Amino acid sequence: MNTQLEHSDLTEDAKMEAFLAKIDRGEKIEADDWMPDDYRNQLIKLISMHGISEIMGALPEKEWVPKAPTLRRKLAIMAKVQDEMGHGQLLLRVAEDLIAPLGKTREDIMQDLFAGRLKFHNVFHMEAPTWADAGVIGWLVDGAAIITQSMSLDTSYAPYARALHRICAEEKFHAQHGESIVLELAEGTEEQRQMLQESITRWWPSLLMFFGPPENGNITSNQASNMRYKIRSQTNEELRQIFLKKYLPRIFHLGFTVPDETIYFDEAEDKWIYQQPDWEEFKQIVKGKGPRSAHRLHLREMSYEETKWVRDAILSYGRQVG
Amino acid sequence: MSNQTNNENFVIYEVFSQKTVSASFVHQFSLLAPNAEVALSMARENFLRREPCFNLWVVKRDDIHGLPPEERPFLERLDNKSYRETKGYGDLQGRWRRHKDEYEAQHNTKSGS
Repeated sequence: MNTQLEHSDLTEDAKMEAFLAKIDRGEKIEADDWMPDDYRNQLIKLISMHGISEIMGALPEKEWVPKAPTLRRKLAIMAKVQDEMGHGQLLLRVAEDLIAPLGKTREDIMQDLFAGRLKFHNVFHMEAPTWADAGVIGWLVDGAAIITQSMSLDTSYAPYARALHRICAEEKFHAQHGESIVLELAEGTEEQRQMLQESITRWWPSLLMFFGPPENGNITSNQASNMRYKIRSQTNEELRQIFLKKYLPRIFHLGFTVPDETIYFDEAEDKWIYQQPDWEEFKQIVKGKGPRSAHRLHLREMSYEETKWVRDAILSYGRQVG
Repeated sequence: MSNQTNNENFVIYEVFSQKTVSASFVHQFSLLAPNAEVALSMARENFLRREPCFNLWVVKRDDIHGLPPEERPFLERLDNKSYRETKGYGDLQGRWRRHKDEYEAQHNTKSGS
């Protein structure tokens, strides 16, 4: 078509200018649109990390499927684990379309994960030793994820936006599933309340880390270019403040505390002033040195290898029947 | 019959359109066309004379695989999965409100933002 011929005649600078102008007009980019390599690479990094995190995130919860206290709870947590794997599949499809022009496939994403080249969310490197953790993961970890994903609903990359639209609808159920477990424990015996308090205390630093380091007026080049490309619209700290404003009052209303004795809400600044978690520890965790990193990666790798015969059988059958 | 209307060269295309960039593709209808290019232009004339449209697909019907009639009844979902839906958690809002009220009565405050 004419427009494409003209487009390919443009210099790289002119293409970039047209691309940015398109984004500035609020238009979206599709998989087959021209995009700068930098934009593609930022998306690949973000979306493959998001997709793999959904899949790795199912692992700490799956541990609680056989041990859920009632049949209804077991069905609900199974449904949630199934949803998370479904979200992984949606996002990996988006990532695959982005890496296809680079000659890469899903197999490369899996191998990058096993080799430690592909990171996943810090929270999924952590332990979930009690039933209260299953509740806190649904309530606060999914709650945090909803905040990040809601921001990204308006992302400039249309296939990601459409995937997130489906994901967010289901995440609401996940948060409610978590709230339901948490309220049950909060309204229960002293022992149950203590178990929940311990879980909140255990997860607090991970929840603060979830959104990434604060900018302190120094937005990283990654964040800046993602905001320029309208892949994201809010900074780490802005997202964290939304989370704190929504959930801290609820934690207090239930009569629980967070392990931060000096935390307070600054009315004038309109933000929570909190103690920073150990950001060096955060770096180590996402590098794969968290308490459960090796175990969960091993589980994923083992499961991938053990199901290889299923994929082979399906492929072989598919070729036979055409 | 004139050889200009040799129907053997026409195939059935199913037409799907997307209303906005964030919407899913919706099936519109089908048409006969000799190739995808003609099918795309006919789809615009036939089905999109008024409706806003962001993008358009045509797919050869032979390339679409569906469920046979005898398998369709199994798609029906049993109505016992409220644990999968927000309607299974209708009690939550009231419980949160009660905890908030109790907390505020105890602390005699309306803040806590």
